Amino acid sequence: MSLRLFRRLVFLEASKLMSYRGDFWITAVANLLATTVVHWFLMRAIFDTTGAETLGGYTLPEIMTYFIGVNLIGRVVRGADLQMGIASEIYDGGLSRYLLYPTRYLPFKYAQHLGAIIPEIIQMFLFAGILIAILGLPEESGVTWVSIAMTLPTLVIANLLYFLLSTPIQFTSFWADNVWSLGVLLRFTSLLLGGAMLPLTWFPESAMHALRYLPFVACCEFPVRVATGEVTTLGEYSLGLTVGLAWCGVLGLACLPIWRKGQLGYTGVGI
Amino acid sequence: MIEVTNLRKTFYVHKKAPGLRASFRSLFHREKTAKHAVKGATFRVEEGEILGLIGANGAGKTTLVKMLSGIIHPTSGDARVLGHVPWERSNELRRQVALIMGQKAQLWWDLPAADCFLLLRDIYQLPEQEYRTSLDKLSSMLGVKDVLNVQIRRLSLGERMKMELIAALLHSPRVLYLDEPTIGLDLTAQKAVRDFILEYRSQRAPAMILTSHYMEDIERLCKRIIIIREGEIVYDGGLRTVVEQYATEKTVTAHLKKNGELAVAKPEVARLGTVAECNAVCVKLRVPRDRVAEAAQALLHHYEVADITIEEPEIGQIIEQIMTARGGSDAGGPGAPESLGAPSIAGSSAENEEEGS
Repeated sequence: MSLRLFRRLVFLEASKLMSYRGDFWITAVANLLATTVVHWFLMRAIFDTTGAETLGGYTLPEIMTYFIGVNLIGRVVRGADLQMGIASEIYDGGLSRYLLYPTRYLPFKYAQHLGAIIPEIIQMFLFAGILIAILGLPEESGVTWVSIAMTLPTLVIANLLYFLLSTPIQFTSFWADNVWSLGVLLRFTSLLLGGAMLPLTWFPESAMHALRYLPFVACCEFPVRVATGEVTTLGEYSLGLTVGLAWCGVLGLACLPIWRKGQLGYTGVGI
Repeated sequence: MIEVTNLRKTFYVHKKAPGLRASFRSLFHREKTAKHAVKGATFRVEEGEILGLIGANGAGKTTLVKMLSGIIHPTSGDARVLGHVPWERSNELRRQVALIMGQKAQLWWDLPAADCFLLLRDIYQLPEQEYRTSLDKLSSMLGVKDVLNVQIRRLSLGERMKMELIAALLHSPRVLYLDEPTIGLDLTAQKAVRDFILEYRSQRAPAMILTSHYMEDIERLCKRIIIIREGEIVYDGGLRTVVEQYATEKTVTAHLKKNGELAVAKPEVARLGTVAECNAVCVKLRVPRDRVAEAAQALLHHYEVADITIEEPEIGQIIEQIMTARGGSDAGGPGAPESLGAPSIAGSSAENEEEGS
């Protein structure tokens, strides 16, 4: 696929999504407010009940910064994952048109996936800016220009990795008609094991160690820790990137035979 | 340009009885049945030819088109489109092929047509000048220049189909599959699409396969047709030839001078064929082709005739009967309609006379 086509797909997808401005703002505000408020009350209750100053190494302001970071970064990583675009296209025959084009399907879909997160990126910077302007950063927060710059490569890997995680799952549509439940399962699993529901420091030591080598951490917790300055050594940073890239390679390779096998049985329903 | 040899496609579908109990049972056990959608299709399509693919719903037309466009793989058999195997989907082939599906929009619903076309320009890697010229020409021919910047979902059905046509033809394909391109359109839009297809053929001479349920599409656009029934090709030949081959009878109608008397079917006339109508106004006979002159003479001799007409059955009617006929023997062709006195159509495939090619 040419770079020109890739760029056009990204921008077209983004402009398509942003042409519905009602949806853009409602999603943005409702999502951030709801999750922040829920986390605030939940964490407040936990800290008040236990009377602890820190939990898993986090103070209350730090854990709130962590959850807001997870929320903003998570949306950039996942994009419109719950729409299960690939699975829907296999199910309703929408895949047919891509099979006719002289281009590869997966890069095409990834470009669209990237396009779909541009509105999320805009929202992330907008709300992060507003929150910092209103509340300021917690004193202990390690967010710096360097940590933000170091986060960018982790976000690129996280985004590609999440796409590659969901793609083989969506390819099961070639054999089973309704696989939306698998999409929900993936999201739940990645949120839980990626540290979006609970910080990984709240898990037992052995589990925490094992989770560091699974793909989910690279999709969520790792970029947030880098952004908040918790990843301080080059070794830890390199290991996080390497784990993410290795999983991208494994999943990318796994996609190819599934795609080849699956499209042999594709029936192109709906036309 | 298109060569198809003994192409077959079998789908396996789940059988499920209606009702909650059956749904529950199907969670544990499902019965699969084989549906033979295409049973050994063999034919060729040449450059500049428009082949009409006709059949009832579920006959296998669209499955055949999907295999030839490379969307689905066949169960067995072979096909070559411009020398390529379509389901291998080489980029070289895909740059020269287009498929228009009347029932399924291919353009992006939320984008203006102009954006979709720019995307297609990049997909097909068209040079800027070629793209501009092509778009300008196609949008002028179809009269949609003023709505190019409107979102696809806001266009009328006719405008949308015209945009689909432009999208399919921007890269000047040498092979074009048209799957019910006029479905749902009003008469004016249908005519515009048909005229456009003919115009495009005269300019570019692509090989085209057209499926349609509208006889007017077929009659206006195709000189050669394939009739497919339950996955099998039952006729491949000229559109006009189908009349000679299947309609062995003609209708001879004597319009009588008005004298108020009720005409009686005289035995001398009745023996020549079947009396379809006999009243104070006319006597209508269905007679074998070789007895038409004799029947006309007999009518003129026995009645006071004001005028006489000799008619072929309508093509649409003949094709409909071929499509819907069931069973049949090899000698008479698979399911050849007896009422039309059909001759053998054994071997009617690519070797048949191709009036329109």
